Amino acid sequence: MNIPFLNTFRSEWLKKKGTAAAWLVVIGGFFIPFIILIGRVYYFDSLAARHTDPNAWVAVFTTCWKQMAILLLPFGVILATSLITQLEFRNNTWKQTHTAPQRLTHLFFAKLLVILIMLLQFFALFNLGVYLVVALPSLAFPSIPYPDAPFPFAMVMKWNATLFLASLPIVALQYLISLQVRNFLVPLGVGIGLFIASLVGMSWQYSYTIPYIYCSGRFLLAEKLAGTVDLNLWAAGYFALFTVAGYVLYIAKKEKG
Amino acid sequence: MNAIEAHNLTYRFPKGDPVLNQIDLRVPTGSIYGFLGPNGAGKTTTLRLLLGLLRKQQGEIRVFDQSFSSRTRISLLHRIGSLIEMPSVYSHLSATDNLRIWQKVYQCPEKRVGEVLELVGLAGTGAKKAGKFSLGMKQRLGIAAALLHTPDLLVLDEPTNGLDPSGIIEIRELLKKLNRESGITILISSHLLAEIEKLVTDIGIINKGNMLFEGPLNELKLRRQQAASVAFETSDNQRALNLIREAHPESRVVSDKLLLPALPREAVAAINRKLVEDGIDVFGITTPESDLETIFMHLTK
Repeated sequence: MNIPFLNTFRSEWLKKKGTAAAWLVVIGGFFIPFIILIGRVYYFDSLAARHTDPNAWVAVFTTCWKQMAILLLPFGVILATSLITQLEFRNNTWKQTHTAPQRLTHLFFAKLLVILIMLLQFFALFNLGVYLVVALPSLAFPSIPYPDAPFPFAMVMKWNATLFLASLPIVALQYLISLQVRNFLVPLGVGIGLFIASLVGMSWQYSYTIPYIYCSGRFLLAEKLAGTVDLNLWAAGYFALFTVAGYVLYIAKKEKG
Repeated sequence: MNAIEAHNLTYRFPKGDPVLNQIDLRVPTGSIYGFLGPNGAGKTTTLRLLLGLLRKQQGEIRVFDQSFSSRTRISLLHRIGSLIEMPSVYSHLSATDNLRIWQKVYQCPEKRVGEVLELVGLAGTGAKKAGKFSLGMKQRLGIAAALLHTPDLLVLDEPTNGLDPSGIIEIRELLKKLNRESGITILISSHLLAEIEKLVTDIGIINKGNMLFEGPLNELKLRRQQAASVAFETSDNQRALNLIREAHPESRVVSDKLLLPALPREAVAAINRKLVEDGIDVFGITTPESDLETIFMHLTK
């Protein structure tokens, strides 16, 4: 099938094979669930009671998502987006990419789509990991029952959607900077700086305007701002703004390799 | 007909003198065009402009008789293979995966990946990561990427950098073969005249952003003959000049040498005999190499 955007996307998808960012998705996805699993097995005596609790699933998902959203998710998104985008600078391949017969618009959105799909992969692996936190002990130890409580599918999907949206401003701004600056430390530095600013500024009256705050804000701000500020709307707005700005700057770049 | 025509091309980087100064370039279709100049002369800038990697500031570029613009960019790039400066190689991928990236964009048959790897001598590299390749191997991989979609025009910027002598000969023979058998037009830049003249049919010489010469290689060879000279080192250059001036009016004293245009060796022996018979000591007779620098100097006069 010869669809130019699809050709560009396939080419971009292949570029990430075996990269640090690709490994980060796998390792990062299972990291928190693995730590939580070890903790639960360590306190083995209380595990059977936890599994019979009517909120067995909700409790484990809440714990895992909280740990993930406040610290690891923003940091992982900063790192993975910068690593993937900087592939071209690091390998001196922008000139080859830009002399291949593909539209700059296709290139911009294909690269962005690769990052977004990797983010979805990360979410899928994380959810699988959280599921295994509960399922594995039940499989391994006959004394630990599989929870009777129904799996909270709707809640899990809603959290996934909300936190995916909360990650998008980080993706878009890191993408914008990484496309423009050769030095890998610049996007990384800006990302970490804004991430720290979001943690420090959590108690600020207008903290919801900090673009990197929405992941942790889901747990630390949502209740305080309920009914007054729509964090989803702010995240979507920043994503749109940074994406359009990134696109314009990319197309207008005078030197393309 | 010309595969590439550039007219009045001028380019300057911000806050700098022009890197290119109103240059004209014509690469005849079917030719191997050597683009020659010392480092920093403006070769790479010209090639980057021709491929759209730099935004054109002034002048006109036509490729295959079409103006190179955002409208024609895609269709023209389908017909061009390029290697600019250091090879573009994804160091975390194997040679095959590197080429598969471009195969997906060019939509050429998958078997071409194996064919071009065979052609450049990298077929046996297997799963070895390109980051572990030598510079010469990376250069070959870059050439393989440029050849992948069997382009009509190859633009190669110093493609033999990092290659050992046998590698240089192999690449040279490969380019000749491609030109001869497939009719591919090749634009190749270099700062080494000796390397270029064994390969090209046409040549352009650039220095400090100015085009000094453009034309068939034979024409350049003629100019080089004109630039060749014989140098006599004597005990009294001025008296020696007076002695031979009548027979060789173009002779002149430069620095501490008496210079004459290139002469048959019998004539050189005759001059030597005459000088010695007149009591002038001759310490040395040399034929200075008509290297790139000499030709540049001759061309800029």
